Amino acid sequence: MSLKLHDLITKVRESSTTSSTREIISQECVQIRNAFRKEDTKNRPRNISKLIYIDFLGFPTDFGQVECLKLIAQPSYVCKRIGYLGLSVLLTENEEVLFMSTNIIRSDLASENKFIVALALSSLGNIGSVEMLRDLAPEVEKLLKSQAAYIRKKAALTAIRTIRFVPETVDRFVGCVKSLLSDKNHGVVLGGLQLLVEILKIEPKTISEFRKLVPGLLRMLKSLVDAGYAPEYDFEGVTDPFLQVYILKLLRILGQDSKKYSNQMIDILTQVGTSSGLNKNVENCILYESVSTILTIDSPNRLRVTAINTLSKFLTGKDNNMKYVALNTLLKGVNKDSKSLKRHRKVIVKCLRDKDISIRRRALDLVFGIMNKKNVKELTQELLDCLPKAEHDFRFDITAKVCTAIERFSPDDQWQIDTLVQVLTIGGQYIRDDVIAIMTHVTGRNRGLQYYASKKLYNSLLDDRYRNQKFIQVAAWVIGEFGDILLKKSIEENEPIDPSQIIDLCQIIITSSRNEDLTKYFVLNTLIKLSTRIEGYNEPIKEIIKPFMKHVNIEIQQRACEYFRLFEDKELLVFSFDRIPVKDDNLETQKIEEIEENSNQNRNTNTKVQENSNNQLSPNNNNNQNKNKQEENELNLMGSNINISQNQTQESSSIENLLQLDFSNNNNQNVNKQTTNTQNQQSNQSTEDFLSDIFGTNNNPNRSVNNTQNIQNNNIQNVMDLLGTGKGNGTGMGRGNGFGMGKGNGTGMGRGNGAGMERGNGTGMGRGNGTGMGRGNGTGMGRGNGIGMGRGNVNSQKKNPSAVIYNQDGLKIQMNFKLVSVNGTPAAMIQSTFTNSTQTQMTGLFFQVAVPKHLQVQMAPPSSKIIPPNNNGKVTQTFRIIKKQNIKTKLTMMTRIQFKINGMPISKQQEVKNLPLIF
Amino acid sequence: MIKFILIVNKLGQTRLAQYYTTGLSINKRVALENEITRRCLSRKDKECSFLEFRDLKVIYRRYASLFFLVGVDEEENELGILEFIHCLVETLDKYFENVCELDLMFNIDKAYMILDEMALNGNIIETNKKNIIAPLHIIDQVSKKLK
Repeated sequence: MSLKLHDLITKVRESSTTSSTREIISQECVQIRNAFRKEDTKNRPRNISKLIYIDFLGFPTDFGQVECLKLIAQPSYVCKRIGYLGLSVLLTENEEVLFMSTNIIRSDLASENKFIVALALSSLGNIGSVEMLRDLAPEVEKLLKSQAAYIRKKAALTAIRTIRFVPETVDRFVGCVKSLLSDKNHGVVLGGLQLLVEILKIEPKTISEFRKLVPGLLRMLKSLVDAGYAPEYDFEGVTDPFLQVYILKLLRILGQDSKKYSNQMIDILTQVGTSSGLNKNVENCILYESVSTILTIDSPNRLRVTAINTLSKFLTGKDNNMKYVALNTLLKGVNKDSKSLKRHRKVIVKCLRDKDISIRRRALDLVFGIMNKKNVKELTQELLDCLPKAEHDFRFDITAKVCTAIERFSPDDQWQIDTLVQVLTIGGQYIRDDVIAIMTHVTGRNRGLQYYASKKLYNSLLDDRYRNQKFIQVAAWVIGEFGDILLKKSIEENEPIDPSQIIDLCQIIITSSRNEDLTKYFVLNTLIKLSTRIEGYNEPIKEIIKPFMKHVNIEIQQRACEYFRLFEDKELLVFSFDRIPVKDDNLETQKIEEIEENSNQNRNTNTKVQENSNNQLSPNNNNNQNKNKQEENELNLMGSNINISQNQTQESSSIENLLQLDFSNNNNQNVNKQTTNTQNQQSNQSTEDFLSDIFGTNNNPNRSVNNTQNIQNNNIQNVMDLLGTGKGNGTGMGRGNGFGMGKGNGTGMGRGNGAGMERGNGTGMGRGNGTGMGRGNGTGMGRGNGIGMGRGNVNSQKKNPSAVIYNQDGLKIQMNFKLVSVNGTPAAMIQSTFTNSTQTQMTGLFFQVAVPKHLQVQMAPPSSKIIPPNNNGKVTQTFRIIKKQNIKTKLTMMTRIQFKINGMPISKQQEVKNLPLIF
Repeated sequence: MIKFILIVNKLGQTRLAQYYTTGLSINKRVALENEITRRCLSRKDKECSFLEFRDLKVIYRRYASLFFLVGVDEEENELGILEFIHCLVETLDKYFENVCELDLMFNIDKAYMILDEMALNGNIIETNKKNIIAPLHIIDQVSKKLK
């Protein structure tokens, strides 16, 4: 015996615990299932009603979906009604069941009973899928012209869903709209207005045609506004506010960007804006809509001022709903009327302190919206004042806005630092990570303020009140980076700070259990930097670092070990922790395409500068190269040790992987690991962009950038050499000047020094943890505190194809191809080698590659601009080609080579086809 | 556009739910409803009737023991929706004569019919109470005759 819905509800209500409810429901579900199985047609409507109730209680009911279909297939209206209801409630994602209903709905749409037609229309309008709507669009169109207004209005709304899901059907309905709008029934007009809004969204071109309707719409609005008491559609004295709202909404779209039609609207908008009172919600609702329309269309200033004044009345009123909508509207119209907004600034700022979180959020957005360079100081202060009292979630929003304000509207650097310190001290735990980037940027950029910033942070750090991690991290970084300036200047200004005070402070922070590990990374870096900045404190610093060589956190342990070892090589230590070069703002936003374009124009001027810088730096490069060679030898020895264990473990990863690592290490998690690189967070762009920045520095006459490029290239070369010679089992270790790519993760082809090696062997995995203290920077890239995981087993049997693409005038260009994958997309790593067989050296080498549109090319700079004569050495340049679309073709490319021989510029352009790589 | 209409009691139990967006699994739906009602119910009387939740704006109003919640997107007139809720309540009141929670539970199909007459596909369609109720009265009369 099946329970009635009434009884089921009573039973559930009587049950006292959740578990007993669950039991009742599961029993009932079993009953219903059984009834379904027995094809109990009589009780089917009742069972579906029960399932709807069960669905509200949050229990699964998907087994009832097919039964709903059976119900709507019944001829009786009562069954159909429950069936359609069940379908719309119970249906979740099951498109199949829905699709099966298409034919039933089609026949119902053709029914003579208008209620059945209405049911089918509602159902199609509420849950119709793309296929159904496409199939049934002709029926819906037919029903728009139905005799019954009851059907027409529902068909209009179903049409909205149809064009929203199947935009190509829009033409079908464009013609019907006019007749809908001239209908006498308010419901049909309402439907027509909404349909028109949707059409304009999908087919904006039709706007000029529909603008002709403006006079008619205005007449309609006027008659509604002027109408006295109309009992049918009266809402507290206002005639059909919904219709008015939708007319205003449509006018807003039609009047936008059209002076002519906007002018036609002025009179009626003025009337609406002045006639309504401010007491009832209905009146406010229309007023609110008309204000939005006035602010959007091309309306005269006086009307705008009235509109803004209306909003300020909303703002000062007691009703919180009014405040909310006013703030919301002001936010939308903020750009056009910032002058009249200014007068209401106080009111807006006051809303920041409102008790209601919804209003505060809106106010925050708006305060940010009206912010500019002139008022930023004042408004930021207001935001900071709210910060301590705000609730947890809201604090994140405030600090984010403050940070953006600091970045975007800052009037001067000192204010920027002051505000940063302020927001860090009071709300550091709520702040987003890139605050560090802002700080490093401003202090790096403005030398005059380095002392100021470090002093300020140092003093705040002494204050016990400020103990949030983010603040300590930033402070530690600044003090480490500018420690020497802090000390020197403090003596000049007669407030000397004793170096031991700083180091003691670091010790307190690093040993405190309250500080998280990330902070300890920062402080370790501070200490090691201080050792290079301040003379004579190496021993105390070593003492502090020493215990951390056994720290439980492996990252801290490794860092400590590495740094401890670095003390042995003074030169490398100083080199590794030299001050970070200033990031060039302009580089950040440039894209590789632009750079390529620019390069054509600027090349001539830039190559000269680059040549110069190249010459100046060459001794340094040679030096590095020599060192690298030594290291290689050393490491080959070490590599053979490792091999023993590796042969057992059969590690298959190779140095090839390392190379990939260099490019693809852009995950944020690395940021945590490699805290020295935090400044790289400045660039939140993807690796590709960042890479393009680095590569783009080809054109930038910036010496430090070139410097690093060359260093990087040496490393590329080293890596390549290793790949080439590492027959069998070679462990990839070179002395690393950070192959600083990606987000500055200089993956060190590191020198496998003591600490790492010991551990590596210990695990029997042959994991050589080399440390690459590389400085891969250039565009604000930090020092690559790289960890070279040199896992051996270079699979040298795999032949990578190569081709000579150019052999003229004594210049030979050979390309070695290698298929790799970058973040899952196939890519080709191509190393081009340039050799010179003439008697004289070639200078000013400039090589460019262009690829078809479905590919993307990313080039590293060449290892040198000069190709030595008589095949005495080579120049290499690596680049990679990434597939943007999955088209498998033979690789073709356009190349252009430029160089000078005996001062004679030579430029050659050629298309390279038939490369031995199917890609 | 209206995304959903919810009627819940003051304990947060759903009494009516109409979604105009498809593709929500039952678990997600329950979680969403719980979260939204929890937030709305915890708000004070004096605070505004709007609540921002993810990319939704929830407009709610309380009538005795029932909360009416309407989720909308950015484009909808918030005050208009409040008026719509009021209109819905008045219509339910007119049809059920002093509507209460139990009326909705026992006559859920009728409640849905009223809602279907008033809104379709997330758009408001009819706000005249007489027009809304007229089809229901016809159906009631027919089913009386059948009995």
